[in-house]
Amino acid sequence: MSAEYVLEMRNITKNYGENTVLSDVTLQVRPGEIHALLGENGAGKSTLMNVLFGMPVIHATGGFGGEVLLDGEATHITSPHDAMTKGIGMVHQEFMLLPGFTVTENIKLNREVTRRNPVSRLLGRNMETLDMGAMSSAARKALDSVGMSIDEYTRVEGMPVGYMQFVEIAREIDKTGIKLLVFDEPTAVLTESEAQQLIRVMKAIAESGIAIIFITHRLDEVMEAADSITILRDGKLVTRLDKEKTSIVELAEQMIGRKGEAMVSVEPRAVPQDEVALSVRDLYVNMSGEEVRGVSFDVFKGEILGIGGLAGQGKLGIPNGVMSLYASSGEVEIFGETLQLGNAAAALKAGIAMVSEDRKGVGLLLDQSIEDNIAFTAMQVKGEYLTKIGPIKLKNSGAIRHQAERMIKELDIRCFGPTQHSGTLSGGNQQKVCIARALTMKPRFLFVSEPTRGIDIGAKKLVLETLVKLNREMGMTIVMVSSELQELRSICDRIMIVSEGKLVDILPPDASDADFGLAMSGIKPDEHK
Amino acid sequence: MTKNKVQRIVAIVLVAVAVVMAVVGGIHLPQRSGEKATAIIEELRIRTLLDVTGVGLVDTYVEIAREEAMAKGKAEGLSLKERKVKAEEAMAETRAKYESEGVEPQADTAILLPVVAEYAAQLEVYYDLKTAAEEAYVEAHMAEAEAAAEAERQAKIDAGQEVGEEKPVTVDMSGFVATPEMEAALASADESFVAVGEALMQIYPALDDSALKTLKPTITNVVLQQGEGFTQLYDRYMAAGSGEALTNPVNAWLIRYADDLLYGTAALIVLALIVLFYETLCKKLGIPRIVLGVFFIMLCFMCLWFDLSLPSLLSNTLVRMGMNAVMVLAMVPGIQCGISLNLGLPIGLVAGLIGGLCTIEWGIPGVWGFIVAIAVGCLIAAVCGWLYALLLNRLKGEEMSVTTYVGFSIVSLMCIAWLVLPFNSLKLRWPMGTGLRNTIGLDSTNFKHILDDFLAFEIGDFTIPTGLLLFMALMCFLMWLFTRSKTGVAMSAVGNNPRFAEATGINVDKMRIIGTVLSTVLGAIGILVYSQSYGFMQLYTAPRQMGFIAASAILIGGASTSRCKISHVIIGTFLFQGVLTLGMPVANVLVPGSTISETLRILISNGIILYALTKSGGESRA
Repeated sequence: MSAEYVLEMRNITKNYGENTVLSDVTLQVRPGEIHALLGENGAGKSTLMNVLFGMPVIHATGGFGGEVLLDGEATHITSPHDAMTKGIGMVHQEFMLLPGFTVTENIKLNREVTRRNPVSRLLGRNMETLDMGAMSSAARKALDSVGMSIDEYTRVEGMPVGYMQFVEIAREIDKTGIKLLVFDEPTAVLTESEAQQLIRVMKAIAESGIAIIFITHRLDEVMEAADSITILRDGKLVTRLDKEKTSIVELAEQMIGRKGEAMVSVEPRAVPQDEVALSVRDLYVNMSGEEVRGVSFDVFKGEILGIGGLAGQGKLGIPNGVMSLYASSGEVEIFGETLQLGNAAAALKAGIAMVSEDRKGVGLLLDQSIEDNIAFTAMQVKGEYLTKIGPIKLKNSGAIRHQAERMIKELDIRCFGPTQHSGTLSGGNQQKVCIARALTMKPRFLFVSEPTRGIDIGAKKLVLETLVKLNREMGMTIVMVSSELQELRSICDRIMIVSEGKLVDILPPDASDADFGLAMSGIKPDEHK
Repeated sequence: MTKNKVQRIVAIVLVAVAVVMAVVGGIHLPQRSGEKATAIIEELRIRTLLDVTGVGLVDTYVEIAREEAMAKGKAEGLSLKERKVKAEEAMAETRAKYESEGVEPQADTAILLPVVAEYAAQLEVYYDLKTAAEEAYVEAHMAEAEAAAEAERQAKIDAGQEVGEEKPVTVDMSGFVATPEMEAALASADESFVAVGEALMQIYPALDDSALKTLKPTITNVVLQQGEGFTQLYDRYMAAGSGEALTNPVNAWLIRYADDLLYGTAALIVLALIVLFYETLCKKLGIPRIVLGVFFIMLCFMCLWFDLSLPSLLSNTLVRMGMNAVMVLAMVPGIQCGISLNLGLPIGLVAGLIGGLCTIEWGIPGVWGFIVAIAVGCLIAAVCGWLYALLLNRLKGEEMSVTTYVGFSIVSLMCIAWLVLPFNSLKLRWPMGTGLRNTIGLDSTNFKHILDDFLAFEIGDFTIPTGLLLFMALMCFLMWLFTRSKTGVAMSAVGNNPRFAEATGINVDKMRIIGTVLSTVLGAIGILVYSQSYGFMQLYTAPRQMGFIAASAILIGGASTSRCKISHVIIGTFLFQGVLTLGMPVANVLVPGSTISETLRILISNGIILYALTKSGGESRA
């Protein structure tokens, strides 16, 4: 039992079809230590945890390569339940609690303490009586150990989110024989003081001999809590570090790294700063999962501004808020004119167009033809492509066809013709249709949100080149939101990093990896230095 | 062997069979009017005549035997009971003897041929005269009869009695007297019958005058062939059981069924084409439409096979399509604006019915009545539809169940309302008590058949309800124009992807209101079109199912619950109504005894719909 590591995952490799999401990753966790697992979105953290918990999605897609050792013994974990019996617990990012149940019931769910009764003697274990007293005292003990004073018979419904997090932790601790606890971004929903408390609890749990895997993107928390750190990038192990021997800057640098070659290279130029195209002050956007909490920035006419940051930090909220697709507040001026928020048509009329990140949900009419998609916004907002007969406005099929054919040629949309339904196109071509629709508006200002998400590499290149062409040749001001930092760095004039709904810093594209890494975890590089 | 190859082989075999059938049918069909057919019919006629006479003779002999036995018994001094038993025995014996031996003709039957032909010709002359005379009589007395019927009706209305359905006016034939020409023709026919009788007596020496007199009506019936063609005569004589005696039964059968062979050829070629182009058709039309289309074509051929009047059935289909099309069209704005199938259509139907009731109450006749009915109906429908839309906007995502419940509720609510609405016309109210009638008959003073009869014309049995079809086309065209308008495009975007529409600054709720109101208004117009063609307005629970019928029709046409086109309305209504219209008479022939045919009809039609819906594939993005 005196193995060095409570958990050792050796040379884990996982493919989804032809996609390698994990290659040769090793993770080692000592008993009683807090081990931080770091990485950008898509670095492979979740997949690694799915492997650890034996999630069905792993088995259903052909299993994985490598081996998992618990206490030095090779183990095969077949299901999340199996993982639980082997002493591995998980504190989820989204709470897995039943709102209508009390704290005790949630903690003891499916592990209830029961007493036998006459009925159960006849009909079996499922009919046994709950021993509420024993359950409450066990729940109390678990709650105390995470430092929660809340009554164990309170209902979960209506509790502050921080409390729910602790209830969840208490549930895991209450399980007997727990050896390893995984915390998946536990501090994301907590206030600063709650986060501090959580870290204290984590340390207390670790001292009692339970090992913790701490998944987060907040580098300062890592430095505060973790004993050792594993960094993943693009499904590969970057390094395993001990806290004492590293610094926050090194972590940031390792996390970002340089990923491959730039797909599009743009000649460096001086950032145009003569005229402000879009001025945003105190923007708050209520977009679930991508809240923006008070962002102010200016976009200069003729530049390409990039907005980067990790997923769920609010970068997508900015274009969606300015375009009033979600409830937003703040002051927005476009070319000197005040833009009224809360009215999607007003933004479009003011000459702002947007290519949404949610292509199928917001970006396209999947059941309608390419040409109807392309002309739709211009027709509805600007009244173009219409033939007027008295008071009746009918759509002008000829003009629409002409425009669609022009766009298909210009953007190289691969299709059978302008009447093909957009739902039958590939992702890249759908994206091009979205761009065509935005361009048909003849906008002065363009928001593109995650333009390269889920499309193949050739289409990616074409989309980025199109954006550069629009900017350089037509002088269109563009704001591009992307999770791919490399992409932003290749075409943007300035890159704005957002974390937790707030603007961290605006960096030049040639700033160092460490600066980007720090900014993404919410630390302004200048202040750190 | 690949699937493709199998398809080709099956198609080739089918076509080969079809070609053989076509050749055989083609050769034999023209023979119907030729000498061969005449010969067959004459042969059959003589045969039937002989059979009938033979059977009559047997009966005569049996009767003679009975009388003899009775007389003999009486002579022997038996009791009445014993005598009867003896007579029975003698009758059975005689019958058995003649039936086992057969009544053999005693002379060459060929002597019958010329005399029968002569008699037939004479009879035909007489009946032609009779028909002509009767027609002339009816024509002369028609106006009189009509006036009497109208007076009676008016008297009923004045007395507050129920008028009931309008019956066709009939002329009392009791005053008809035979013309001299007729009598002369009848006399010469009787003269020629004497020759027939003589010939028969020669053949059956046992036949005496009194027996001949008894058999005369039967013989006349056999010989008479007033205006009947080859097929009817053939069927008639075959039904009399004279077929076995034909010298060449196969040839006769081929001539009789030559037309059915040709229909079969066409059916097989259609089948072969379907087999050959199955994939393409599936992709273009989708399985449900193929299944229903094939079913419809099959019904058409079955109608021909059973000698039902296909043109008049198709013309019926056309009428029913026109009747229902506007109600089906009402589904279009509903689907396009995102409330899915508007099963709350009864709201519109009820509004339309109220409009119709108003014109009868106000006594506005004809075209203006119809226009006023539509105007009032639309007004009510628009208001109700708007309220209904507000409800639907509050319950987004649950449209299917909400519309269904609203549809049912409004029908039930109106069941109370029909009893208390302040209509006073005797045409509308029950003669006693309060409330409106269940079914309100429309007549020439209202808007009955106002569209059906407009510019209607006939081609043989095929009546084209021009006005109805024009109205349907007009409504479809207006709807099509609307879908191409700026508002229409915005509305269909709302139905297609509400978030997309919102991102373009379109007021989603407003578009849904427009769509719902439009759908309800079309429902109101639809029920009026339906009523004017049907000739009745049905109140109370009648509108309950109509929403479902309209929804089924548009689904069959190829629409889904989220997208549809005008063509789906037309195709769907035609197929649905066509299958229903043709299905009923065919089922009646297949299973005589009407209730089963009705059950079968529902089974077939609804089963097909269900099947079509489970297979709702096809080129949904076409």
